[in-house]
Amino acid sequence: MGRGYMVEEAVERYLSSLCSSSPLTGLLLGQSSAQRDFVVMATRTPQREACPLTPSPRDTLDMEWINEHARQVSRMLPGGLSVLGVFYISDAEAKDTLITLRQLVFAVQKSISRDLLWLSGDDDISERVTLHVNSTTRKTFCRTFDVRDPKSTAKPADWRYQSGVCGSWPMVWSCVEVEIPVSLPPRGARPGDLETSLQEGLKLWAQQIERGTFLLDGRKISEDTELTGPTVCPGEQVSQVGASGGRVVLRGAVHTRAYLHGNKPTARLAEKALKRDLLSTVALRLNMVLEELMETQERDRLSLPTRVMCPLRGLGVGVCDYRFSDEGPLEVLDRLKEILDLEVRQEDLDHTQEEEAVTVETQPAPNEGVQRSELQAAVVPPLKPQGRSYIGAAMATVMALLAAAASLLYLDD
Amino acid sequence: MVYTDATVPENGIIWRVKGQLELRCYPESTDAIKKSISQTFETLRSQMKSESLVFTVCDSSVVIWPNKDVYSPHGEVSSNTLCEELQRWIKCFHYLFVYSLCVIFVCVGLCEHTYMYLCVCACMYVNVCMHACTFMCVCMFVVINLCLMKEVSRPGPLPVPTLTRTLQSGHALLTTLPMDCVIRSTAHQPIGVACNHLLDALTSQLSEMEKAALQNMKGTTLLVPEPYHFLLPEPRGLVTIVYPAGVPDSQLESHRKELHGRFDLPEDRPYFRKPNAFRFPDQVHKDGYLRNPHQVLTHPSLDNGKLYLVQGVYSYHHYMQDRMEDNGWGCAYRSLQTVCSWFQQQGYAERPVPSHREIQQALVDMGDKQASFVGSRQWIGSIEVAAVLDQLLGITSKIMFVSQGCELASKGRELANHFLTEGTPVMIGGGVLAHTILGVAWSETTGQIRYLILDPHYTGAEDLQVISDKGWCGWKGPDFWDQTAYYNLCLPQRPRIF
Repeated sequence: MGRGYMVEEAVERYLSSLCSSSPLTGLLLGQSSAQRDFVVMATRTPQREACPLTPSPRDTLDMEWINEHARQVSRMLPGGLSVLGVFYISDAEAKDTLITLRQLVFAVQKSISRDLLWLSGDDDISERVTLHVNSTTRKTFCRTFDVRDPKSTAKPADWRYQSGVCGSWPMVWSCVEVEIPVSLPPRGARPGDLETSLQEGLKLWAQQIERGTFLLDGRKISEDTELTGPTVCPGEQVSQVGASGGRVVLRGAVHTRAYLHGNKPTARLAEKALKRDLLSTVALRLNMVLEELMETQERDRLSLPTRVMCPLRGLGVGVCDYRFSDEGPLEVLDRLKEILDLEVRQEDLDHTQEEEAVTVETQPAPNEGVQRSELQAAVVPPLKPQGRSYIGAAMATVMALLAAAASLLYLDD
Repeated sequence: MVYTDATVPENGIIWRVKGQLELRCYPESTDAIKKSISQTFETLRSQMKSESLVFTVCDSSVVIWPNKDVYSPHGEVSSNTLCEELQRWIKCFHYLFVYSLCVIFVCVGLCEHTYMYLCVCACMYVNVCMHACTFMCVCMFVVINLCLMKEVSRPGPLPVPTLTRTLQSGHALLTTLPMDCVIRSTAHQPIGVACNHLLDALTSQLSEMEKAALQNMKGTTLLVPEPYHFLLPEPRGLVTIVYPAGVPDSQLESHRKELHGRFDLPEDRPYFRKPNAFRFPDQVHKDGYLRNPHQVLTHPSLDNGKLYLVQGVYSYHHYMQDRMEDNGWGCAYRSLQTVCSWFQQQGYAERPVPSHREIQQALVDMGDKQASFVGSRQWIGSIEVAAVLDQLLGITSKIMFVSQGCELASKGRELANHFLTEGTPVMIGGGVLAHTILGVAWSETTGQIRYLILDPHYTGAEDLQVISDKGWCGWKGPDFWDQTAYYNLCLPQRPRIF
């Protein structure tokens, strides 16, 4: 008895359409739950420009490119959605491709998990699916591997197409204030220090988020949400005033979003998915500007790219992208096409969830002024934070009653 | 005679809020450190007025935004909700009875979701002439625990994060302040009022922490200020004092002197040493020893009799604990350990309870025994117990001698006086046995006497039920003693220090 995959019908049509361009690899996207897995989308690995058109199956699978594509795809997925596995379309016999598929799925998983700010927990599903589609017969061959076990063998899995797989998936979202002050080591230190300090600051902030209390619709749902009592952090007794070469402060707000599978989702799932999305969206945006930050010593203010949401028609879930202030919506559409193989209309893009950063004002000149205002701002300490989330389309409680009315939105401010 | 029972003359609620506040400041130079720290504390104090400040009620789904007057679950809890109604939202009640300076816990399973920790609360603690029974009244407190948090979700959309860099040589200080405030309210007060008091308490705790931090700064080293709660005699109740971390009690004497003066307390017994800190019901002793097992017992009733019991907290030490197989020879050592535990927990001694080996070594160091004594299974008596108390803890003791066990029945007055004025456990050795006397019930008119005995010969597990049922801690009559054997009693004297 293996895992059961409920796959959106559109994926079947998509994979069929790809058969003419075989051999091809790609990724399967969706959400796993304890009982079953849901595949909502598939996306092919785009052609690398300098590559020949028809590489033979085993020798020239461009692993590096596939991994890079996987990382980029992963970044465009809001909370709850992730890369569930890989597909491979070729005219070879299914059983001959097992080794390749195995190699693929492990590599992709490794590449994606490198960027994560959290460790996968025991309740995370570690099975990933590999699908082989024979380009001539259209026959599918589905197996799963446990990516936590390097010695795992292929297990059979059930691959079933269905319409409306994610039609009634509840969505949770929130606008979360982010404040991460980071102290830099004294001047003259190694160049990698900025990055290290930022990573450390991010990690501390991530720990605070994970310990934070989660409210759904303004209420704390006690049964499945883990209550964080006064956490006893091994308290330090003595603190030193250390020399510092300056500081970097990340301040603003982000829109976080997660989709929950429709099969009795719990408050716990909502919390986990939304918190992880929050950590990812901040971390990866920070990485996107890090290079620029390290290179240009003159720039004192850098804003992170804004998140553009892209609900997918007919599906019930959506994806997202990040747009720098000097980019327009067309660049976003281009990326959605290239990376996710999606044709999206400009009017479908949702730019409204986040605002552009405030424009830089005049440089503060007197030292006193700088210090005091920086001090004020930098010292507002984040306590254990909470996220208040509103459920858009449906209400998810511990017992997962699905109510359709949007009037369940809780607005109190 | 007054029994401890569950009738409750007065209800009260203790609110306790805990949380971690980040203290982060960037002084430009080492000279500016103190000013910078003060400014940071000022900012922290103003944050107590922030609308994103949140109290979450532990073990419940109640969340409070005190500065916005917002309560969750919306519509079911509001600022006018009475404190006693709030209790219904809490899954696990912590009832607290306090007996003089000690806190004991007896688990009484009332219903599947409620655990009651019963202790006896002495509302009035009479200083020298403590007639514990006469002035004892029973008070019950509910403890509501809260977490201090900050809300980070906002109504969007808001500007996306910017990274602001300031490259400037200077200094940085980052630490966390362990906030821990306690206030008292009555059951009939609305929770809005209690929340405001909590905010005031947090703000003033920040001021005290600022004072403690600045006073105890040494150059660039900051000692983190830590709050401690102490239970003072009524009507003071619980007070919170901030001490710098890592500084031993011996160096805080002047601070304590000022506190004794401020609260009008005598300087002959400690109230503000760190071991005197109040233990809340959810703070379980992690060392595994039972505390004050005698408090679950039903005390005897004598004609015109009174109870004279040990004051404070001790741990029950007995055979076979700590993987030490001293069955048959270690009873006096165990009794000595119980006595030491009393001095340590009342704050008179900083060193932990000594092991058999350490006790033997102390006797060798004093010249009382040969070196071969260490590691042996030789018995010790009251004289050695007194000597070790002096050597290791600096405690003096009085020795009482009876030539025959039957004379112990006439020692009621002395023992009663001992428990009144010193209140320390008594080690008694004679014949071939050693025991600990924890108190007496004595009638001045009839001369009847009972002894509360803690027996170190018990070899089982720390099972309060067994220990009380089988009399390992229990009341004995004068016939408990070997009527013809002679006995020595070691009566440790409480140092008159604070």
